[in-house]
Amino acid sequence: MADLQTHFAALGDSTRLAIIERLLAQGEQSAGDLQDVADVTAPAISRHLKVLREAGLVQRRVDAQRRIYSVVPEAMQAINAWTLSHRDFWQVSLDRLGRALEKE
Amino acid sequence: MTDLTITRSFDAAPEKVFDFVSKTEHLLKWWGPEGMTLPEHRLTLDRPGPWMSVMANAEGQRFKVSGQVTKVDPPLLIGFTWAWHDENDRRGVESHVTIRLVPAANGGTEFELHHVDLPNDDAAASHERGWSSALRKLERLANAQSDKERKNG
Repeated sequence: MADLQTHFAALGDSTRLAIIERLLAQGEQSAGDLQDVADVTAPAISRHLKVLREAGLVQRRVDAQRRIYSVVPEAMQAINAWTLSHRDFWQVSLDRLGRALEKE
Repeated sequence: MTDLTITRSFDAAPEKVFDFVSKTEHLLKWWGPEGMTLPEHRLTLDRPGPWMSVMANAEGQRFKVSGQVTKVDPPLLIGFTWAWHDENDRRGVESHVTIRLVPAANGGTEFELHHVDLPNDDAAASHERGWSSALRKLERLANAQSDKERKNG
């Protein structure tokens, strides 16, 4: 629960939310790639990425001179379980129903 | 209001599928996402009457949903109402679920689930849009949270 509150607090900013949405939609990106998610400066993007990393939403790897960012899958799963849509509920449940039917 | 339709094809005959979607012992095998437990439930959908389930995740959060089974026509149809409860156990907006089983030529079952009268922001949407809508909900929650902190502080 503490983790979720940290996640929500970090996402309560439109630039940070835009960064997460971009990473979810397009996979990992460098800080430079993320520059155009909002009309803010490069240092501002770096600060937002730092907040997202500290909140456990985003992870970083180093590739030569570049720092590449991606979402932390476990954090996304925790959020997803919490904000489950009805379509998600039925899709995952019916997958399980299909497997249960095949077993017996 | 938004409507949701999901179809599946199963090799099992309608009678068997009907058992799996209506009887407690079978519903417990598939109801809800993997990794969630069902600490409380009344999952009997094979006769008219009340039903409910409480799902809990690994962090101990509980999600309660309840309704009434309104229509049962074995082995072809089950209809029930559906509403989530909030943290104070107040029941929210009611929606309607119909499960229809159509015998298939190969002896299997065409399974159709209709979930209608859902609130609009719970979009019957693609995976990506589902994510965005989840994130919009988060944004609203986070804003509400910081409003509360400002008021309390």
